[in-house]
Amino acid sequence: MTLLTMIIFPILKMILLLSLPFLFIGVINKVKAKFAGKQGASIFQPYFDFNRLMNKGEVISETSTAIFRVAPVINLACLIVAAMLVTVIHFEGDFILFSYLLALGKFVSVAAAMDTGSSFEGMGASREVSYTSLIEPAFFIIISSICAMNGVYSFASLAHLFWSNNDIMILIALATVFALFLIILIEGSRVPIDDPKTHLELTMIHEVMVLDNSGVDLAFIQYGAALKMMLFTTIITMTIAPLSFVGSVLVALAIAVLIGIIESLCARIRLTHIIEYTFTLIVAALIVMALVLLIMHGGHL
Amino acid sequence: MKLIVLALIIYLFGAVTQYFFKENQKCNYLIALNTIATMLAVGGTLGCFVSQSYNQDLMFEFGNTLVNVVLSLDGLSAFFVLIIAVVSWLAMIYSKGYLAKYVEAGKSVNSHYFCFNIFVMAMILVVLSQNIFAFLIAWEIMSFSSFLLMLFDADQASVRKTAMRYLVTMHIGVLFLIAGFVLLNIKTGSIWFFDFNGQVTPLIYGLMFIGFGIKAGLVPVHTWLPKAHPVAPSHISALMSGVMIKTGIYGILRMTQLLNQPSAGLGYTILAVGLATALLGILYATGQRDFKKMLAYSSVENMGIITLAIGLGILGIAYHNVGLKTLGFLGCFMHIINHAVFKPLMFFAAGAVYNKTHTKDMEKLGGLAKVMPKTAFCFLIGSMALCALPPFNGFISEFLIYYGFLNSFNTPNYLLIPVMILAMAGLAFVGATAMVAFTSAYSTIFLGTPRTEKAEHVKNDVPLSMTAPMILLVVILTLIGLFPQYSILIIGGATTELVQFIYPVEILTVISFFNITLLVTVGILLLVRQAFLAGKTVTVRNTWGCGYDKGTAKVQYTSTSFTRPFLGFLNPFYVRVMEFKHIKELFPEKTSFKSKIYDIFEYYIINPLVKFDENLLSKFYWIQSGNTQRYLWYSILALIIAICLVLGGKI
Repeated sequence: MTLLTMIIFPILKMILLLSLPFLFIGVINKVKAKFAGKQGASIFQPYFDFNRLMNKGEVISETSTAIFRVAPVINLACLIVAAMLVTVIHFEGDFILFSYLLALGKFVSVAAAMDTGSSFEGMGASREVSYTSLIEPAFFIIISSICAMNGVYSFASLAHLFWSNNDIMILIALATVFALFLIILIEGSRVPIDDPKTHLELTMIHEVMVLDNSGVDLAFIQYGAALKMMLFTTIITMTIAPLSFVGSVLVALAIAVLIGIIESLCARIRLTHIIEYTFTLIVAALIVMALVLLIMHGGHL
Repeated sequence: MKLIVLALIIYLFGAVTQYFFKENQKCNYLIALNTIATMLAVGGTLGCFVSQSYNQDLMFEFGNTLVNVVLSLDGLSAFFVLIIAVVSWLAMIYSKGYLAKYVEAGKSVNSHYFCFNIFVMAMILVVLSQNIFAFLIAWEIMSFSSFLLMLFDADQASVRKTAMRYLVTMHIGVLFLIAGFVLLNIKTGSIWFFDFNGQVTPLIYGLMFIGFGIKAGLVPVHTWLPKAHPVAPSHISALMSGVMIKTGIYGILRMTQLLNQPSAGLGYTILAVGLATALLGILYATGQRDFKKMLAYSSVENMGIITLAIGLGILGIAYHNVGLKTLGFLGCFMHIINHAVFKPLMFFAAGAVYNKTHTKDMEKLGGLAKVMPKTAFCFLIGSMALCALPPFNGFISEFLIYYGFLNSFNTPNYLLIPVMILAMAGLAFVGATAMVAFTSAYSTIFLGTPRTEKAEHVKNDVPLSMTAPMILLVVILTLIGLFPQYSILIIGGATTELVQFIYPVEILTVISFFNITLLVTVGILLLVRQAFLAGKTVTVRNTWGCGYDKGTAKVQYTSTSFTRPFLGFLNPFYVRVMEFKHIKELFPEKTSFKSKIYDIFEYYIINPLVKFDENLLSKFYWIQSGNTQRYLWYSILALIIAICLVLGGKI
């Protein structure tokens, strides 16, 4: 039993987490297609694209240096190690390492984009670092507030938040899920922050950073982008369905459908207003903190 | 202890005897001597850490108790001696390559090297001195010798002006220190530090905190720092930034050690000062075009993080929270080491760029990674460490601090918890801003294509004497990042001087495991990439420009444009001054645009104060007329007054 719960389960979870990201993207695209009244590609299409890219050669910018070639690899490695933190093992302060691993991935991606000397990629890089700058603070406020409440200083503190008898606890869970969902949209460069399907370089954020990447590198980058969304989705599933395997997969699929719906119904925000929009995250985080303090004072609704 | 005194003697000996060597031989000679001195100092301190035999005193008696000098080595001093010795040794090696051009051009480096060794000696004496007089004298020698070192390019008026400003600021700091020491002396009747134990009251602590804070560059008294560091030669900037400003931190820690039952309010105050320093420091770093100035502001940020950690430690003592006080001080010492590793590294790399291009404006550079690969690599790793990214050392200290924040939740105090959560978010925002600053700096200097001729003309990397210290520092910071659990010896030794603690070895082992896992994963994925690319065509073409391939280097993003969206929403915290000649007629000839970011404290507080001071003092210019007759009148007047006073006393 211990062997099963201690080793097999986490490893299965890890494998699941690493294999699902493209399905996640596939579902989003399918939902969008249905909304547009189209048949849409198979939900497995991203896997085929990945396969195609992995078997291609590369075109590399003559301006670039070594960091351009290793950045996709480092970024993906960071995300895989971060995936271990949300599935295999929990330790005190794991969310800090998680956050900084993502930051490392972002650092090298931004440097690689700047490496090409292209003004478009510079734009993307600049936007990426600016728009994501509030994620870490908000993320830390949320997770550490919940840690303070539970006395457990790791991702494990998120479990059972939703299934509590305390009304405030459920409010906390709602605010947390909302904020995490917003983080998925920002980190994953989805509508209303960025439109992954846009065709104008001037208005893109994430896609424009990788204009010069091709072949294996592009495959790594696309997989990494999907995995990053999946990581935050996993954190949401920890809150909603901490124990059940099937439950967490279902929650993940529901989130994908929700993203698809939002992308179909919403327009993206004007570029100059995105930072204001990301302040919503800080507000949600502060609400979580306030509610936690209320609970610690023994408050009820 | 004897080893360290021997090292001090060697520094002094080197400072004097280098006068007998030829200009181009001086550096080799001093490197040889300082290597011995460094080995002695490192041996002495490590021996002290390993055997845990602190409080080795050495007394130099001169008959009169006032001038007796006691040098004492405890964990705290040993920690700082170690850093000073190692960093100054690397700076000495680096100076060989850096100053070679000046020596060839016939510039004398006599006084520079003299001051260098005296400076190192004074810094070590500052952390060893155990009485007020010895401490203040060493402190003054340190300030003054660094002032002289800054004047290396004294033929430039701006350098002279900045150096004077530095000297004046340092002396304002000393005034606060003297006031604090006088109060201590009145209270205890002693001049010895060990008599002050438990006698430091909040007022004295406050005075000392301001005095030492000026040296450490804490907000709002940091404004000298970003001006002073860029004008000095790079190895001196490295030494000042990496080591000297930490003597201010040493002073604060020493006072904390002597503090009588710190209150929580004090802890919160220090925490707030630290956080404000970190946030503003890194914000202004982001807005700089001068890369050395940017690094100087980043030092302000790091001093802020260290101070914040001290604040955590004091809060831990006040609330009797073992985890918090342990991790606060451990994080503080770890960050001191880390900053002493990566900041010299960055200044060395920046100096290498300056040496090759003769400009400090990063927007005139670009594409240097191809011609200066070693420097670029070191700068990149240093930037990552500064942004506290794993698997490098910066992450370890920030993790300890974050972990301290988490441990504060053990104390169910409803003021402490929200403050800690928000401070944590603040520190996270510092990290995010650091990322903007350093991705911008690295990409603007080293990536893309050269923006001006200055960068185009660079053909090769700097010589070995300049790259070797950098590579050594890169190795050190990677090792600390990968195996942080072994740092117990040094940072633990320093922390025991302040609090009893339990060392969090398990958590650091876990971090070490993940850092190594990260490297292994990168390795595996690189192999995967290689395997898939094997046998495929890899074409090298020009960068995608939307179908347009005649773009020039000028269309590239610069640091100003890169940071613009980010700084856009933080505009209440800085002053952006723009000068733009508006186009008024048809067929305009030439126009220009300038934009510069100022510090709010400098712009609204320090500069008006200086201006007021200048206006006030200029009213007294007539006293110094340069007229001999008038001076004679002054002495006669003084004599008459003196006689009157004496006679008045008699009657």
